[in-house]
Amino acid sequence: MNIKKQFKEGLITNNPVLVQLIGMCATMAITTTLFNGVGMGLSVLIILTCCNVAVSAIRKIIPNEIRLAIFVVIIAGFVTIVDLLLKAYIPALSDALGVFIPLIVVNCIIIGRAEAFCQKNTVGASFFDGIFQGLGYTLVLIVMCIFRELIGSGRFGGGLIDIANGFRLTMDGTGAGIQIFPETFGASIMTLPFGGFLTLGLLIAVMQYALKKSAKKQELKAQAEKEVDE
Amino acid sequence: MLTNIISISLGAILINNFIFSQFLGCCPFLGCSSKVETATGMGLAVVFVMGLASAICWVINEYLLVALHLEFLQTLAFILVIAALVQFVEMFLKKSVPSLYSALGIYLPLITTNCAVLGVVLLNVQNNYNFLESLVYGITGGLGFMLAIVLFASVRERIEFSDYPECFEGFPICLVSAALLALAFMGFSGMKIF
Amino acid sequence: MNKILKLTIVLFLVCAIVAGVLGVVNELTKDTIAEQQRIKTEKAYAAVLASDGYTEVDFDKAANPSIDKISECTNGAGHVVMTTFTGAQGRITMAVGVDTDYKCTGISIISHSETSGLGANAASSAEVGVNWRAQFVGEDKNVAITKAGGNIDALAGATITSRSVAEATAAAIVAVESLG
Repeated sequence: MNIKKQFKEGLITNNPVLVQLIGMCATMAITTTLFNGVGMGLSVLIILTCCNVAVSAIRKIIPNEIRLAIFVVIIAGFVTIVDLLLKAYIPALSDALGVFIPLIVVNCIIIGRAEAFCQKNTVGASFFDGIFQGLGYTLVLIVMCIFRELIGSGRFGGGLIDIANGFRLTMDGTGAGIQIFPETFGASIMTLPFGGFLTLGLLIAVMQYALKKSAKKQELKAQAEKEVDE
Repeated sequence: MLTNIISISLGAILINNFIFSQFLGCCPFLGCSSKVETATGMGLAVVFVMGLASAICWVINEYLLVALHLEFLQTLAFILVIAALVQFVEMFLKKSVPSLYSALGIYLPLITTNCAVLGVVLLNVQNNYNFLESLVYGITGGLGFMLAIVLFASVRERIEFSDYPECFEGFPICLVSAALLALAFMGFSGMKIF
Repeated sequence: MNKILKLTIVLFLVCAIVAGVLGVVNELTKDTIAEQQRIKTEKAYAAVLASDGYTEVDFDKAANPSIDKISECTNGAGHVVMTTFTGAQGRITMAVGVDTDYKCTGISIISHSETSGLGANAASSAEVGVNWRAQFVGEDKNVAITKAGGNIDALAGATITSRSVAEATAAAIVAVESLG
């Protein structure tokens, strides 16, 4: 169990959205305000970690043929629990995310990690995998939200940050955010589906560029070392 | 009643297209659309599953979950129904249209995790649609998905021959093209027939 | 056969356990959720027509399909109508206050998915939204946007949203009138 390696993988080299290219529906749909992004990201993180731990705990006793069905049932259970808790205690988030909370059930990230990782790893490793992959996902959501909201409405931290009486975080979605430039100068199309597709495409392109560059650097380094040896 | 059905249909296909307006069904949209034939096959399978899932889940919701005040089991019940349905579609296709079965490959069982199928079922509940409206929304939602995926496949076949920066290879250039398609579909917004 | 039976039983057991856990969580959160819903609705109602309480009344659903429910103010100030209708980008849910002279006392948008910066201004708590909604106060069942011959100035770049809201307000007033 190599926590540092899992951390780097979850956030960068094996980032669920930017590298594994899964779980994209929600990423584009709800990233219109920072409140939505952080809320969704943390919900997915909690559900992912709980499911990872549960699946890993029972991995030796479930029959192989129906394992996917059992994964789905467990995930549906945790999603419903989070859904009910959000409706009861953070109704603003529940309203803002709407149908995308129950849709976390079919978020490929959760089933993907259960299938690819938790089946073969200990509870501890699965726990950290859930946390780090969830963090990677949340990070992507936050970056997308900031980008889309800034260009779309000139705002930072809509729904989450309130600077009227000193800086504070509003858990009920009422924070007006920091208006960086007047809303009338924003390209509100960025908050529409067009902006969603475009921002995600640009982010993945940036990630691919960074990974390729880093891979090239590694290759050059390995080659240089080989030449030194010779 | 008829005007309601027509406005739901047009809404699902054009005005609030499942992919370009509501973002439901993006994973297979991006993963399965490299060729027009595969896209058409996938689209038809999704139409079938969405229609059938809408109908069955409405019945289960109305006569089982709501009647027994078990609404909190909606997500669990719906996803189980969809998973079972996709299994049956898979078995059916394997026997009767094996070429389509092998062409769709891994993407057929992935219809279970297609946001559009679970999404349409949940939206039917949210919008309080009756049986006929749910069935229509399911089928026309699937048709909207199919329209989007076939259009996109034809665009992707052209992209293969264009020049684009190396870091955009794969998904990024597809997403940018999808953004432009979404822009086009925005032209339908606000359309009211009746 | 035995194997399939065993698999089915295992799956059924897992489902039963999960459903049981969900049942417990549901029981624990049921009341809090209902309370949140009640607070949200009452806040929206108080914004359009202040009253110390609201009691729901029956109405002809078939004749007024877009109306969700009509509540009478316990202090006799009038009625509050909850209506859901189609805007530019999806469904809008709104509360309309109607006083005893069948004039609008105010509108409050409860949920919507309109374009931010355009149609969403109808629901905004900023000056532009507040001023726009204030136009509806005092209007009767013939309320309409200026393009349709009425007094309401449409929001900049959001004619469809404005028209939908005006039409829905008119429908709400008509529904209260039909209560008799």
